[in-house]
Amino acid sequence: MEVEISRRKFLQGTVAMSVVGSAALSTNLLSSSHGSSAKPGAVSFHNTKTGSDKGHDVATLCEMCVNKCAALARVENGVVTKLNPNPMFPKSKNMLCARGNAGIQALYDPDRLKFPMIRIGEKGEGKFKRVTWDEAYSAILNGTDKFPGLSTILEEEEDNRSSMLFCAGEGMAEHTFKQFYQAFGSANWLNHASICLQTVASGYGVTLGSYPQADLENAEYIIMAGANRAEAIVTPDTMDLFKRTKGRGAKMICIDPRFTNTSAKADKWLAIKPGTDLAFVLALTYVTFTEELQNNEYIETHFNSYEEYKNSVLENKYTPEWAEPITGIKAEDIYTIARDFAAAAPKAVYYPGRRSTFAKNDFQLRRAMAIYQALHGAIDTKGGLIFGSKIPLKAHEGLQPLYEKAKARAVVKSTNKEGEAGYDDCAVVSGGGSWIGWRNRFLDGKMPYKVRGMFCYKHNPMMNMPNTQKTAEMLRKMDLVVTIDTMPSDTVMYADVVLPECTYLERTDPIKTFGGVEPSIAVRNKVIDPMFESKPVMDIMKGLTTKISKPLFEISKKFDEEIQDLIDEDGEEEAYAEFDLTLPFLHTQEELNHHAVADYPGAAEKLHHDGVFYPKQDDYYKQLSANEHQYYPENKKSYSVRGGKPVTPSGKVECVIGSFASKGIDPMPVWRDEYEFSVPAGKFKLLTGRHAQFTQTGSANNAMLIDLMPENFIWINKRVAAEKGIKFADMIEVSSSIGSTRLKAYPTEKIAPDQVFFIHGFGEESEALTWAYKNGGNDNAIIEDTMEPVYGAAAMHETNVSIKKV
Amino acid sequence: MARYGMALDYKNCINCKACETACKEENGILMGADKHRIWVGTGEIEGQYPLLDLTSNVFHPSQCQHCDNAPCEEVCPTQATYTDENGVVRVNIDQCILCSYCMNACPYDARYVDDRTMTVDKCNFCAETRLARGETTTACQNTCPTKVRIFGDLDDPNSEISEVLRTREHYSLKAHLGTKPKLFYLT
Repeated sequence: MEVEISRRKFLQGTVAMSVVGSAALSTNLLSSSHGSSAKPGAVSFHNTKTGSDKGHDVATLCEMCVNKCAALARVENGVVTKLNPNPMFPKSKNMLCARGNAGIQALYDPDRLKFPMIRIGEKGEGKFKRVTWDEAYSAILNGTDKFPGLSTILEEEEDNRSSMLFCAGEGMAEHTFKQFYQAFGSANWLNHASICLQTVASGYGVTLGSYPQADLENAEYIIMAGANRAEAIVTPDTMDLFKRTKGRGAKMICIDPRFTNTSAKADKWLAIKPGTDLAFVLALTYVTFTEELQNNEYIETHFNSYEEYKNSVLENKYTPEWAEPITGIKAEDIYTIARDFAAAAPKAVYYPGRRSTFAKNDFQLRRAMAIYQALHGAIDTKGGLIFGSKIPLKAHEGLQPLYEKAKARAVVKSTNKEGEAGYDDCAVVSGGGSWIGWRNRFLDGKMPYKVRGMFCYKHNPMMNMPNTQKTAEMLRKMDLVVTIDTMPSDTVMYADVVLPECTYLERTDPIKTFGGVEPSIAVRNKVIDPMFESKPVMDIMKGLTTKISKPLFEISKKFDEEIQDLIDEDGEEEAYAEFDLTLPFLHTQEELNHHAVADYPGAAEKLHHDGVFYPKQDDYYKQLSANEHQYYPENKKSYSVRGGKPVTPSGKVECVIGSFASKGIDPMPVWRDEYEFSVPAGKFKLLTGRHAQFTQTGSANNAMLIDLMPENFIWINKRVAAEKGIKFADMIEVSSSIGSTRLKAYPTEKIAPDQVFFIHGFGEESEALTWAYKNGGNDNAIIEDTMEPVYGAAAMHETNVSIKKV
Repeated sequence: MARYGMALDYKNCINCKACETACKEENGILMGADKHRIWVGTGEIEGQYPLLDLTSNVFHPSQCQHCDNAPCEEVCPTQATYTDENGVVRVNIDQCILCSYCMNACPYDARYVDDRTMTVDKCNFCAETRLARGETTTACQNTCPTKVRIFGDLDDPNSEISEVLRTREHYSLKAHLGTKPKLFYLT
């Protein structure tokens, strides 16, 4: 086969490379790299050519996305000049993607937050003054003439510690921040789960007892539905999969409303109508039952309520012919897939995926997928879904004092007989909470008590969840907003106090154990000292708690009778020891990491030097070729650790969960008419997603990545675009019921005529971001805040939009 | 002394651009869509939704082919383009006068102008960086998630690349021109 695409042709053909964008980029670059903002010695990306001497490597873990791939940072004269893959980590298997390589630009981004700052302008205006760390901590405690501090808030709220909200994005140091939240004593915690993988993790969790991994290194048949592993990279899945596609061992069926890079690698791509995957799985299940394709032996041992579910699927007549008009997938394709999947089982995977909730039925979809997988016995087996094993770490002590006056989580009313707290807008109160549910209740005045401020760590609510306008309103209404971040994000613009964290290359983070077929422990070691006045969150917590602990205890003493009694009994010093917020932060991260692996001789040293440790590593680890490494011998891999037994409390696959019925949730997956896909005439269903050079808003200002994709474009079906007179790069206004955004057009046949798509993460409004500011369109400005009913997760593909050339 | 070449298992390529980024970071390449030593070619999809031709969207990594008979070297009036002792086609920027004959002569469109030095630049298999340090991989090979690339000494019969080329079918780009590329696409 001959494919020839010349440089010139390539430039014309790709959306990612716009000449206009790159010209603008070099102008900006010049001004910023010569500006006063760059630290002397910091490299701009003009001159990162690595040197010809040896340099030295530091083993670290990438934080450009959530995967935590192992990297070796090359340091020359104190400057990080290159990030290379660390071959020793079984999870990332000797690779670093485009974002991983571009981590240097995150470190040396001239727009980084460099000093602590406090607000001097109006909320959201982005006017700050540089202060010392001590002044920043004092402002958090005592406020300024612009905003109240913690002491005023807790005094006025009579020591209700829950009057402060704590929220955090995913990351290895999230743990450190969470310890602060626990010690502080608030009950209001929100993390990324409800705008991320809440429904998939929980759907598998309640059905199989675990959110399993897929053994794509050995699976022979893979249904890749609503997951885009070529562009939303997950390690090791992406690497394992695409070495074996296209007739090389793994047959892959890609189910996706739009044609992605994953579709391009599939044996078959089936364009499904958005939000109808559940009907597809139910129809597959119907074929499995009617043609007796299931693994009866596995079902007899490992299933609960099998007959009930089977009867439901058969009685409801979820036939492929029924599913065809709903999904847009031909009945004959569904028959073929069901038969081929069963024939390949147990080396067959219906890929669980790892993504945000798209449709309201996502939780039920995940349950149906998990059950479908289990019907074939392809659980805890080589080539199927696996639980794997994990190397335990030693825990360290935290601090979780009880404050008498701290109110319970801000929930609305009791919804079940046991008197458990519940929301009125979703069925289950999950650990990470429902972000948009919480925000909307706050705005609607439905809080049971006043929440007056928030601490926000490595988290960008302005850009990361539907309905940006509402988030802005929430932030404006908060009396005290403290943000800890590396970049002046849109959320940071609304802060009262800004605390600059150093980037992942400037800090050691809590050690982490990675379970799987080839388990290991890995650590992020500090590569260079923090630049400017930035600090690791551990040091920030140490400084902040030292400042606020005692004064806040004084307030508690006034209101908290239990504390008063305690002081009477034991004396003040002893009583305070239980409420001393500094206690979790007394040790350095390095000391805590040493302690965590103290049970494994030599592990701490190995982790410091190589970044990775697992027992018998020296015997097992081998380089096989320039590209391939052995981590465990085949007979030592954890393909099967439980003989197929699910991890649920009953040890069975849970087809029917009776307790859901009382919460108004279907106890087993069924199709409902309201799930059907429909778009009003003249409108389009808005789809959002990822690509391989961008991680949400976190990388929006990364010069190297913007060079690869200067802005996002809206995909519009070519025929529709022609009808509307829309040409490539025409500016389009996209509007929904809640707002509008503007970005350029990309007419393509990769998308259906009644849908449009663009990449999430662009369109920032923070003027402090040189490259990201007003660059492309912001999806969350137009995605309506629709919640799925179980966990209150944001359902992101439920919005209809109209488009207009402007 | 070696004769370096590269075999590309191009079917593994997912167009993630890790290689392009690693190349730019390793070798200090300028930003910009027209400033890259390596790239992944892809065509616009053929067909109408949802009946699209999957094969029309193939990803094809490309770069300087390090020809044994390099047309760029032949036409260079100042001998700025030369083949080094390891078979790598390189540019001596002190001798380059930016006449751009090489850019026109290259059948693979592998050369571009570096605006800093105003000379022609191209892939040199990381000769000034990684190979100069005694490493045996290029930045693009090392970083690739799906391990498209195998780099090595074609003169060493025991090298991985020699073994792969002995045992697997492969082709070269524009073989009919007689340029004898040292990049091999594995089928």
